[in-house]
Amino acid sequence: MIILILAYVDPGVGALLWQTIIAAFVGFLFYLKKTRRWIVGVFRKMFGRSQKPSDTVAEIPAKETMKAKSDVR
Amino acid sequence: MPQSAPSFRDPAGCCCFFNQRVLRFVTASAIPEFEDFLQTNCARQFIARKRIVSTRRLNENETAALRESPELQPVFDAQSIGAVFEHERIPFPSYPHEWPPEMLWAAGRLTLELAQAALADGFGLKDANPRNVLFRGSEPVFIDALSFERRNPGDPIWKPHAQFVRTFLLPLLASRRWGLPLAEIFMTRRDGLEPEDVYRLCGPLEKIKPRTLSLVSIPTWLSRRAGPDDQKIYQPHLLANTEKAQFILESLFKRLERTLDSLKPVAQKNSVWSDYMATHSYDDPAFAAKEKFVSEALREFKPARVLDAGANTGHFSALAAQTGAEVVAVDLDAACVGAIWSRAREKNLNILPLVVNLARPSPALGWRNGECPSFLDRATGLHRDGAASSAPAGAFDGVLMLALIHHLLVTERIPLEDILRLCYELSNWLLVMEFIDPKDEMFRRLTRGREHLHAALDMKMFEQACTPYFEIVRSLALPGTQRRMYCLKRKGDGN
Repeated sequence: MIILILAYVDPGVGALLWQTIIAAFVGFLFYLKKTRRWIVGVFRKMFGRSQKPSDTVAEIPAKETMKAKSDVR
Repeated sequence: MPQSAPSFRDPAGCCCFFNQRVLRFVTASAIPEFEDFLQTNCARQFIARKRIVSTRRLNENETAALRESPELQPVFDAQSIGAVFEHERIPFPSYPHEWPPEMLWAAGRLTLELAQAALADGFGLKDANPRNVLFRGSEPVFIDALSFERRNPGDPIWKPHAQFVRTFLLPLLASRRWGLPLAEIFMTRRDGLEPEDVYRLCGPLEKIKPRTLSLVSIPTWLSRRAGPDDQKIYQPHLLANTEKAQFILESLFKRLERTLDSLKPVAQKNSVWSDYMATHSYDDPAFAAKEKFVSEALREFKPARVLDAGANTGHFSALAAQTGAEVVAVDLDAACVGAIWSRAREKNLNILPLVVNLARPSPALGWRNGECPSFLDRATGLHRDGAASSAPAGAFDGVLMLALIHHLLVTERIPLEDILRLCYELSNWLLVMEFIDPKDEMFRRLTRGREHLHAALDMKMFEQACTPYFEIVRSLALPGTQRRMYCLKRKGDGN
């Protein structure tokens, strides 16, 4: 006798629809976040302000991570 | 013979126990993806941390030898198997219907961690089921290495999300909010609780609480509005902006993580047995004598695998684990078992605690009863080599049965002879048993006016009943009690 271990997935109905709705909302947030970054960038350029050390720490790795992730794809 | 076609759930392959080995049969088309995943940073790191089972591909000679086995022929015939992989063996398989909520929570945490880590390598989890996880001692290990698939980078939807909700979040919610035991959920439902099941349990106010709204109410309302034949729901919604798709998925995982954390089980203070250690009927010298007796037996016999039956808060399981044994601790009280798990994890003790009532042990479950073997099949060693034997040797070198026999004799009405026979089948060497005389206060409390049923039971009768199965190495009367400790050695052949 051998014993089988098996796996499968049912995507559901309501939970899948709810995930899709939230995905649309989060997708909108993604653009808001990008726009905010763009506006901050423009203001920095206009006023010639250099980046704060805290901004450097917070933002550069995030950008690098994004780049690394898109390279993987 | 396989009990069912191996391809009926996962088309990429299947896994089976064979001759004490865990073999994964992978179809030819799924091999490149599987091997690519095993090379990813995620797989390497999690395997190194022992969070995914180690896996190796069998060479051609090894595979050819398996092909010759008539038992495995149907597996090879059912699909075009391209390669066979072997996984490390987890000492004692356990299933969600035997876990306390704490263990389900830990399995959920590992599943989410893996889903997030694999995302960075371009892979995704294709299912999110607690049966993908086993426990090595108290530590969760992901066993279904074939559960990973290469993701379409533009896909912002995680298909197993609903399964994660059904099999982790809703059972944890039901257990926390209504005290629903996981055994009741998972023994009757392979795929957990549907939002609609939980919706029926919720009162009007409960339905609009933020967590319930998101996990239960909105999915239920949306599901009612969706047409039963609407296939558009399942069409992939691919995005041209892959960065956006990644952002959406990362946000989903963070949200699921927060929800899972909000459902983290809290220690129950008022279960029937959880405060037993503080309220038991021994005074200090009796308890010290019992502890010394058990310690000496463990040190003398050094059992490598121990079953602590009726473990309660796990005091003696910890004692066994400290001597280097691999312990399986079973008790019917989920609160006690949860406490043992938390303690074992905190103190890094090799204890696997399970919610099992020895008088009603978990049955074999799943299709043709072949997916989850019964507790006794695992504990008596029947399932290890897959060969049924009339006199199994027991999966454990030592069994501790302390302060349990009166519950089996009185509450469950199991004959003494049968209890000893079961111990004989569970242990291949040592049995440490606490005999409780009918004159004992706890024994009398359980009999409730049925003392006559146990009038003949005494120490002599107990020792006589042991004779066919065990040799008495030594015994000790616990001072000031009607209890006696026995250290018993299994005889070669029981009747």
